[in-house]
Amino acid sequence: MHLDGIVSRVISLAKVPGNRRRAEVAEELRAHLEDLAEEVRTQGYDEEATARIVRMRFGEPQEVAGAFASVYAPERLAKLILQSAILVSASTVAVVVVIGTVQLIAAICSATSIVPILRGIHQEAFGFGAITAGYCSVYAGERIFPASGVKALLPSVTLGLWLAAIFGWLIPQHAALPLAAFACAAFGRLLQRVEMPLLWFAGTALPLLTAWALVGPLISGWQFPWLVWLGLTVSCKALQQIVRLFEKVFVEDFA
Amino acid sequence: MPFDRELLKGSIALLILKLLSERDMYGYEIIQESLRRSQDAFEFKEGTLYPALHQLHKRGYLHSEWRTGKNGKQRKYYGLTPGGRKAARRSEQEWLSFTKVVNAILAKAKA
Repeated sequence: MHLDGIVSRVISLAKVPGNRRRAEVAEELRAHLEDLAEEVRTQGYDEEATARIVRMRFGEPQEVAGAFASVYAPERLAKLILQSAILVSASTVAVVVVIGTVQLIAAICSATSIVPILRGIHQEAFGFGAITAGYCSVYAGERIFPASGVKALLPSVTLGLWLAAIFGWLIPQHAALPLAAFACAAFGRLLQRVEMPLLWFAGTALPLLTAWALVGPLISGWQFPWLVWLGLTVSCKALQQIVRLFEKVFVEDFA
Repeated sequence: MPFDRELLKGSIALLILKLLSERDMYGYEIIQESLRRSQDAFEFKEGTLYPALHQLHKRGYLHSEWRTGKNGKQRKYYGLTPGGRKAARRSEQEWLSFTKVVNAILAKAKA
């Protein structure tokens, strides 16, 4: 008798949030199926017939799972929004810390003032947001479409187009840098999936080189924005660690 | 005579609330009781009872706890909360009014 098979099929499809609750639902269904099987057996049916009758009376696991999924849909959505907010916030903080540190070290090494950077902080903010958005949108695509690499790019491409329109409208003179940063971070995430050490390191440079070739220096006085590239590659590494930590903390939802 | 699935779906919450207003029960017991009272006419896919129970629990109409049953097995018992008692009365009233109206229409159609 495959009572456990029915239970695990329901549980795997039901998307009940929380490990404890999932275990409780499984226990409850198992108890029901055991009672049902016992009842059928006492009526004189053999094991094969019992299994058939139990399955018939219980219903299709997909149908039961679908009903459970709709009961817990609002809770799942709320949890997803909260988790996404946590991931985006933590990622943004990490990007600010990494880029800020790189800029500070560069300012110290070149004995230049950081005042101009602080004055242009509102423009930097677009870059920080773009890096987080680029990286996290590819990650979101991986989660939404785990089976298709092409489809996984959809959120990133869609968001990229929206950002191009928004940056083009808000900061038309400086839109190229945050857009290049967005593409770099997205590329960085994509290349981190390839099992070749440090490939992402070079990969983040590709969108920057393209932007440089298309629109010229992204930062006045810089032929190639080395600092931006360094900041981006280190940011991608930090973001990878944050995503790993995120999956560890919310492990039950990534089981 | 087998009933329409949608009709059963629409009335399952009322039946659960009504049965639990008498005493606490676990899922299998609820099925057995509804079969007994309907003389086996009220048949539905038993697995779909549990999402309905969880929905009512989420709405705050039911409380639940694991207890050891007569046969020594652990079962999850459900009972009505004060809100659930109110909902049971309200649903019953609604159902009675609804069936009264439907019956009146059917009676007129016959005449």
